[in-house]
Amino acid sequence: MKVSLFVTCLIDLFYTNVGKATVELLERLGCEIDFPEAQTCCGQPAYNSGYIKDAKEAMKQMMRAFADADYVVTPSGSCAAMLKEYPRIFRGDPEWEEEAKRLAAKTYELTQFLVNVLRVEDVGASLPGRATYHTSCHMTRLLGEKEAPLRLLEHVKGLELVPLPNAHQCCGFGGTFSVKMGPISEQMVDEKIEHIEEVKADYLIGADCGCLMNIGGRIGRVGKPIRVMHIAEVLNHRN
Amino acid sequence: MPMKIENGPFWKRVEENLQNDFMRGAVAGMQDRGYVRRLGVIEELGHWEEWRSLAEQIRKHTLENLDYYLMQLSENVAKRGGHVFFAQTAEEANDYIRRIALEKQAKKIVKSKSMVTEEINLNPVLEAIGCDVVETDLGEYILQIDDHDPPSHIVGPALHKNKEQIRDVFHRKLGYNKSSDPVELARHARETLRRDYLTADIGITGCNFAIAESGSITLVTNEGNADLVTSLPKTQITVMGMERIVPTFKEMEVLVSMLTRSAVGQKLTSYITVLTGPREQGDADGPEEFHLVIVDNGRSSILGTEFQPVLQCIRCAACVNVCPVYRHIGGHSYGSIYSGPIGAVLSPLLGGYDDYKELPYASSLCAACTEVCPVKIPLHELLIKHRQIIVEREGKAPVAEKLAMKAFRLGTASPSLYRFGTKLAPSAFAPFAEDGRITKGPGPLKAWTESRVFPAPNNERFRDWFRNRQKGGNPS
Amino acid sequence: MTRGTIQNRDAFLQNIAKRLGRSPRLSGVSQPQWDYAPQWTVFAGYSQDDLLSALREQCKLIHTDYIETTSSELAGALKQQVAAYGGGPVIVPDDPRFAEYGLSALLHDEWPAEQTAVHVWNSSLGRQNIDAAEQANVGIAFSEITLAESGTVVLFSRNEQGRTIHFLPKTYIAIVPKSSVVPRMTQAAAYIHEQIEKGAVVPSCINFITGPSNSADIEMNLVVGVHGPMKAAYIVVTDR
Repeated sequence: MKVSLFVTCLIDLFYTNVGKATVELLERLGCEIDFPEAQTCCGQPAYNSGYIKDAKEAMKQMMRAFADADYVVTPSGSCAAMLKEYPRIFRGDPEWEEEAKRLAAKTYELTQFLVNVLRVEDVGASLPGRATYHTSCHMTRLLGEKEAPLRLLEHVKGLELVPLPNAHQCCGFGGTFSVKMGPISEQMVDEKIEHIEEVKADYLIGADCGCLMNIGGRIGRVGKPIRVMHIAEVLNHRN
Repeated sequence: MPMKIENGPFWKRVEENLQNDFMRGAVAGMQDRGYVRRLGVIEELGHWEEWRSLAEQIRKHTLENLDYYLMQLSENVAKRGGHVFFAQTAEEANDYIRRIALEKQAKKIVKSKSMVTEEINLNPVLEAIGCDVVETDLGEYILQIDDHDPPSHIVGPALHKNKEQIRDVFHRKLGYNKSSDPVELARHARETLRRDYLTADIGITGCNFAIAESGSITLVTNEGNADLVTSLPKTQITVMGMERIVPTFKEMEVLVSMLTRSAVGQKLTSYITVLTGPREQGDADGPEEFHLVIVDNGRSSILGTEFQPVLQCIRCAACVNVCPVYRHIGGHSYGSIYSGPIGAVLSPLLGGYDDYKELPYASSLCAACTEVCPVKIPLHELLIKHRQIIVEREGKAPVAEKLAMKAFRLGTASPSLYRFGTKLAPSAFAPFAEDGRITKGPGPLKAWTESRVFPAPNNERFRDWFRNRQKGGNPS
Repeated sequence: MTRGTIQNRDAFLQNIAKRLGRSPRLSGVSQPQWDYAPQWTVFAGYSQDDLLSALREQCKLIHTDYIETTSSELAGALKQQVAAYGGGPVIVPDDPRFAEYGLSALLHDEWPAEQTAVHVWNSSLGRQNIDAAEQANVGIAFSEITLAESGTVVLFSRNEQGRTIHFLPKTYIAIVPKSSVVPRMTQAAAYIHEQIEKGAVVPSCINFITGPSNSADIEMNLVVGVHGPMKAAYIVVTDR
């Protein structure tokens, strides 16, 4: 099966290891990975800031980049949700509406793709320790995916998964929100970290690098012994 | 109290409220208990998504035919001997109500909770002609006697006050000498307000839902205050936002079922009262005269725009009760009687961007609001629409942001520029990085690094690694 | 009844039509067939006994005393509940069902003989009725329709049954014929809607009352008994 990877700008630039883990994991499960070099960004930073025209240019570039893909897989719930929004954003645009629908229909967040398309729940990963999972807002509410990551994590050998209190609450990232509304964002991420500490987790796992950058960045600043991992890294981890 | 709360600029409000530990604890407690309660009642009810779709469809149909239903409503009110006044502006509504108060030589006026009368700032108008205006909802009453402290939540207006503060206010203003036990406090209010109901000349209410088919108004409370306000005074005046209307009893029932569950996690509140016209000939209680004031005050300018769904709102505050931003900054930070996500959407529409330009940004776009809204208002999408207008039409976006977005457009619309820009990133960030992380960032990064570290860009981008690997370079 | 006045309507509605981008629509709108009707699925297929069980359970959540009795035992049960709430004065509507349910002797002989004052609503006495309601310790009325899901009694005002009977007394007792119990508000609303369609006059006040009054406005602590009654009981008459 040929899979076109949309790696996201955060991973391309900052979290290269998450991208590598995604490739290795998918290859091990028998996928052939294609990386369209023309990909840029899903457009969300501009779209969510109200720069809709600028965002649309990025979106068009994405549609061009993935025009020939069979499956578009991305290790980010938030970016996947953005791609799924394209049909609404380009509604009534004679040139792009159909292309937007095509891209949305073939786009999967990584864990969705594993569970719903490849139909695997046990990827043979192992990671000893106690972990809790951050259900990111865009993954659960906009993409509507609540199950897949947990199904996969339940099968990771040695991993004790404990529920995160107030899991439904935003970590305070919100893209430019974290910068524009810094003091508020800080209170939100602090509360998130309190809950992570409450369950004495060694690992905080998430499926969105935005949230992880925020939570991890705060953990790094206040110095807590909690390791932040992307779910692709966990699923690619073997001992 | 007008819609705008005069308490300084946005950041001053936020910083003050972030220091208010009692308020933040109270809000967090309310949200956490409310979250569980609401989930419990909607699960017990079943088919919640069908309920939401039905409620949305009802609200949309009513708004699309609003002139028809207001016509029908007003005809039916008049048929039952009630008087209807259509007010385009707050001033027109206030003038009409003042004229009635003067005509009745009203000395005392009792009110049940009404957001729209707060919005149009009715009370000072009546006080200026010598009326004693008494709010009877317990929360509103507490705020009123505390020198008009503004409400911080559209359902629980006094949420930000603790019982000791309330005891002190009662002591100062009412000569109360008992404990801070909520039961004792509530009993005292009960006794004081009883006298007010029995001696009031006019009762003023808001309106949860008007029913077009019968010319009725529906009032939803737990305390029963609206019932006394509409049973005892000789004149009743009901003030409604023009969109608060349903076609028939059957749709009222659906929306009430969703309102009480979404607002307070109850199947129904203690008192749901449907009033039609004044008392009937031969009745010994109920008002002799009934006036319905239908208020536009900026609502019609929302009709026919992308923001029309906001008029579907039934004022349940479910969005407020799940909002993580409201959780930390509380209602007063919004500077409007409408707080939380619905306030962030509605306040700029009714009050303008000059006063409320920050509110659309006071959201992480986590969409918790959109998820719980019983009438499916896409709240977080409407916040993005506001941002778009602020950027494109109002030109109020900061210069640094505009530059950043310009760079974004250049970088993301063209793959070659993207590749070029991201390749430069590591060396651009290099002076700030230390052990692969940035603790003191330049420019917009500064706001981030004040509370968090930022990862430094990798020297090798993912795409470089992948290309090398394809070429048979190092495998990982 | 003299028709009331309507002011400023034309311009107001024209502006709405203009904003909606069409000509004014003042007649001829009918409701669409709604896509969903989940409200009818609640307690669908329940027997009257099932509904009663649901009502009994719900009363626990709404701080309401729930008593089951038969019409022959009703007078005793009512007397006992009034005593439990501290006795009279009692206020009741002028409702023929008090006689039909065998309560005349209690109302007109037994209670007065025990110095328990009983005021029967009489509209010709005007304001005195309100004073009596204000003085009353217990208000008593028959539920017209009873909603099992929420534990709600539905009451219609009329000349013989003032509104304040349900609000001014310190405590409140609703007599609930078993036959009045329906699944939820849906059935009550549909009934009222049908009456309107048939041309009936809607009562000037319809109350849906669910237990005693309460408030959570002070630190979100539930206080039962704020402006309306502080206690409430439903006496269900199982053979009516």
